Amino acid sequence: MNIALEINGTTEHLDVAPGVTLLDALRERLGVTGPKKGCDRGQCGACTVHIGGRTALSCLTLAATVTQPVTTVEGLSTPERLHPMQRAFAEHDALQCGFCTPGQIMSAVAAADRGLAEPDEIREFMSGNLCRCSAYPTIVAAVRDGASEEGRADATV
Amino acid sequence: MRQFDITAPTTIDDAVDGRHTFLAGGTTLVDLMKLDVLTPPRVADINALPLRGIGADEGGHSDNGNAGHGLRIGALERMSDVAEHPDVPPAVRRALTLSASQQLRNMATIGGNLLQRTRCGYFRDTTMPCNKRTPGSGCSALGGNNRGHAVLGTSDHCVATHASDLAVALVALDAEVRLVGSDGARTTPLADFYRTPGDTPEIETGLRDGELTTDVVVPHPERAAHSTYVKVRDRQSYEFALCSVAASLDVRDGVVVDARIAAGGVGTIPWRLPGVEAALRGEPATESAFAAAAEVATHGATPLTHNGFKVPLLRRTLVRALLELAEGSTR
Amino acid sequence: MTARPDAPLKVTGRATYALDNVVEGAAHGYLVLSTVARGELASMDVEAVRAAPGVLAVYTPFEPLPLHPVNSALLGRMWLPLQDKDVRYHGQPIGFVVAETFEQARDAAALADVAYHERPAATSFSDGLTSAVDAQPAASEAPPSLTVLADGVASIEDALEASDVTIDATYETAAQNHAAMEPHSALAVWSGGELTVYAGNQAPHLVASDLASAVDVPVDAVHVENPVVGGAFGGKATSMPALLASAAAVALDRPVKAALTREQVFTATANRPATRQRIALGARRDGGLVAVRHDSWSTTTREIGFVEPTSHGTSREWYTTENLAISQKAVPLDVPPATFMRAPGEAPGSFALESAVDELAEAIGMDPVALRLRNNSTAPPGEDLQWSSKHLDECFEIGAARFGWADRTPGGRRDGDWLVGMGTATAMFPGLRFPATVGVTLHDDGTADVATAGADPGTGLLGVLRIVGAESLDVPQDRVVPRLGDSRLPPGGLSGGSTATASAGSATMVAASTVIEQLVALASSEEGPLRGHDVGYAHGTVYALDAPERDPMTFGDVLRATGRSTLSATGTTAPGEETTKHSFGSWGAQFCEVRVHRLTREVRVSRLLGVFDAGRIINPRTARGQLAGGMIWGVSAALHEGIEFDDDGRMSRRDLADYLLPVNADIPDVDVQFVEHPDTLLSDLGARGLGEIGIVGVAAAVANAVHNATGIRVRRLPIRIEDLLEDG
Repeated sequence: MNIALEINGTTEHLDVAPGVTLLDALRERLGVTGPKKGCDRGQCGACTVHIGGRTALSCLTLAATVTQPVTTVEGLSTPERLHPMQRAFAEHDALQCGFCTPGQIMSAVAAADRGLAEPDEIREFMSGNLCRCSAYPTIVAAVRDGASEEGRADATV
Repeated sequence: MRQFDITAPTTIDDAVDGRHTFLAGGTTLVDLMKLDVLTPPRVADINALPLRGIGADEGGHSDNGNAGHGLRIGALERMSDVAEHPDVPPAVRRALTLSASQQLRNMATIGGNLLQRTRCGYFRDTTMPCNKRTPGSGCSALGGNNRGHAVLGTSDHCVATHASDLAVALVALDAEVRLVGSDGARTTPLADFYRTPGDTPEIETGLRDGELTTDVVVPHPERAAHSTYVKVRDRQSYEFALCSVAASLDVRDGVVVDARIAAGGVGTIPWRLPGVEAALRGEPATESAFAAAAEVATHGATPLTHNGFKVPLLRRTLVRALLELAEGSTR
Repeated sequence: MTARPDAPLKVTGRATYALDNVVEGAAHGYLVLSTVARGELASMDVEAVRAAPGVLAVYTPFEPLPLHPVNSALLGRMWLPLQDKDVRYHGQPIGFVVAETFEQARDAAALADVAYHERPAATSFSDGLTSAVDAQPAASEAPPSLTVLADGVASIEDALEASDVTIDATYETAAQNHAAMEPHSALAVWSGGELTVYAGNQAPHLVASDLASAVDVPVDAVHVENPVVGGAFGGKATSMPALLASAAAVALDRPVKAALTREQVFTATANRPATRQRIALGARRDGGLVAVRHDSWSTTTREIGFVEPTSHGTSREWYTTENLAISQKAVPLDVPPATFMRAPGEAPGSFALESAVDELAEAIGMDPVALRLRNNSTAPPGEDLQWSSKHLDECFEIGAARFGWADRTPGGRRDGDWLVGMGTATAMFPGLRFPATVGVTLHDDGTADVATAGADPGTGLLGVLRIVGAESLDVPQDRVVPRLGDSRLPPGGLSGGSTATASAGSATMVAASTVIEQLVALASSEEGPLRGHDVGYAHGTVYALDAPERDPMTFGDVLRATGRSTLSATGTTAPGEETTKHSFGSWGAQFCEVRVHRLTREVRVSRLLGVFDAGRIINPRTARGQLAGGMIWGVSAALHEGIEFDDDGRMSRRDLADYLLPVNADIPDVDVQFVEHPDTLLSDLGARGLGEIGIVGVAAAVANAVHNATGIRVRRLPIRIEDLLEDG
């Protein structure tokens, strides 16, 4: 079936079977490979994207059902400028192998948007993103820092 | 995954033609379709249907006198939105907050949550016998890894645990579901909606062919203002319950006046505990009285090879939930 | 502190993991796995598979993909999929379906109709104990059993008998899966007689050699790239999808992608085996160890293969004792194969030994830290080779003070409804090096490449190459470009055995010093800008020793002046005679606080501290990440993860909802401290490994803390709620 997806601000038209997930549409049809396939079952969070501004698992979303704009980790930054949360992840070393990082950052941005600042709130909010390297402590630090930086960035706009 | 057709009806009448499997958040259906556990030929994406809103019940199709005294939640409301709504009773909010992950809560709907399928690993594996998936094929869990399985409401045919936290909280609070089908609308208490497996474990609810959940109604939500949900599991988040308890408690002058209690993670359906409620009424709100009442909870429990611990764990979780309410704290 | 050079790519989604490479016309492969644990394939009806939309090829043992024997440098003789009809375990690869799209391959694979001649399978560890056999511990020349007795002592039993205090207990640890977030996957491109394979692995030069053997092409025609790897932990020494994708790419003459599903990762790779360990300790009243007996059983396949070296990895070396007896046995079963996983031997072995030491401390009535320090070893028992640089005492002293260990009381304490306890344990991992070659290339733009084949699956090796390269060339770090993850680079930098930093780091120093010699010679040569002068090198510049008035020249200046664009040298290092002079190991002191709910008995780790003696720390930022990550693996081993089998050999927990890894909410802040004593006896770099030691001892520290909190001693991992319910 022919569908249109708005991915990182660009409308993409493609022809997919109804069973194709948003994750496989992004990765295999559109070359958007930031979202990762860690489990394909909604159990790890590596495929997390924003749909209509909220975090969602692209592996459990059928591409044909997506009607709202999709943002992936690629959509956060420009070639010149990292998103504050991306910078915070790099600065806090909130990653090791990096495979879960695109999903972590999409959840982290959502956590910051909600103004989460308490470590326990952040830990719960981020618990849908597994990190086998176990960078959890630095992820929490990065989310706190990235959130306050995001706030500052907003304030200067 | 089998080939299927998908449509996106915009009216309820179009949706309830009896030919389609409904897709809302997709967190159960897409998962199980990818595993070939569910193989619907026709899927209806119902997200465009007008089944949203959280607020005072306008009556809907209710004929039981609760109209106007309830909190109505549209079936397509997302778990995360309901979890954060101030009018929703604490037990429901906590049950939702402690469910799944933020991403899944953003996707999954209230209606879909109540119809989610069991997490039994044999149900999810099409190479294994499972009476719920393939009636008559046998139950692999009886002789398999059944640590997560039920101890209440089981049969020789199925011991799969009901997975929903939300349903446990709603059953404790006497919630109702409103359904609409091609024959019209009806309302049923959620507690009556679920079916224990018996010898037909493939039948999990009283849902009729083509019927669609439109709303959930929590009657007298003010009575549930003093309620809680305690969930016990192996990790602190993103996991189904080994055991959970939803409870509301009315204590006056140190004596229990009323209690509503249901348990999760231990039953083949959300497990209301009327015996415990009765045993609590008139008793002092003390740990020893709670522990005595909790004994009633596990009468008739039938533990399997690996889940015997759920029997004492249910009693302990009950005491913990009741103490939390009695002490007015949420530790 | 140096940021990861690849962090900007990783945080923007631009890091290209194997399947992120986009190649026109790539087909997709999907594996079919066995559904019985033992027997022979009777038939595989794949007509429906072949007829399904988009299917290009179906390979089975009846119509196999051609694969040639592989003698892997890392793993020895490799089992090759689809070459024979034997079924050795449930979940073994038995088919490979290639189709135009991923969905078509997956959906077609589901149509395979497989019949077996099934045979009774042995899948129970406890039932198998009676058929246990002596077995050589993995990665060791040591015999299965080893006994050291003091003069005049006839047997370890006599030594135990003669001890004032003894404890004797049996401990069990669950089998585990590496569960790297990136499932094993590969993209193979066959073009013009050359095979290019993108696949996450721990040593691309070694994998290239394996693949060259498998598809029977010259090794220099195979090119393996893994610039980033989505976690490895010992589980990506080889890659089933790379084998299958490579052979299919050659057979079909088109690019082929293949990935294991998450469920397939659990059986179609290899796991850490389950262990059972019996430990008897005998001590004097003052805590001095008289006797240590440590007998271990590891599950294995029927071919034995990998045996988890739990006794040899711990009791062999950790404590001073007059008498020592250790043994390793294999329990052959029809289960998926076992392999190295983070701290193989030390991780499960330390759960047993360090729990037993805690039990001994309690039996003697001695503080657990004091008991450990009382028996601190200066050399492995019965050996003359003293530890090159061991500061375990300092680790415990700093750790105890920092953690508030003095506040620990034997019965724990209570905080509302939570029972709070503290536990400690020793950590140790051998200080090893592997042969490594690193290339340093100076460029005329003033930058330098530091390159080795290797891999950085999150360990931080890329940053280590930059730091050590900059230091050795005496230039700022931003002038150094580290390169890894390409089989065509000099062979080194294998990610395994906590060796990469010491091995590739010391080779970098040699390569840098060689290239500087060449640079100096070039500068003063006939064609050089400082011809006729005595030339020196400092601060990244070449200067004339005998003409101080002349401006120093950067290496870029020298290259441009001589019309060269680059100057390269390689450096190679390998373990040498230092191994005949000392024993080498990293050491650490682990501290843990847990909270156990008095009613529902969930265990929550509330504080974690590790103090480590790992020689010189090259990059504290990534070192902390490795150690904290390892410690969290220890929490996971203690409380979460564990493979379980049904009686028929089917793995019953094989997705990430059932095979539990900790989530963010399970993990508190983790305090990592170093005592930094460079170990220049191991290598000029002074660094020892730290990728594995973080996990070691933590599970015991958790179990010891649980005992302190609840009074309940749990000797089986993972510890679960049901272990802590007195009425359960």
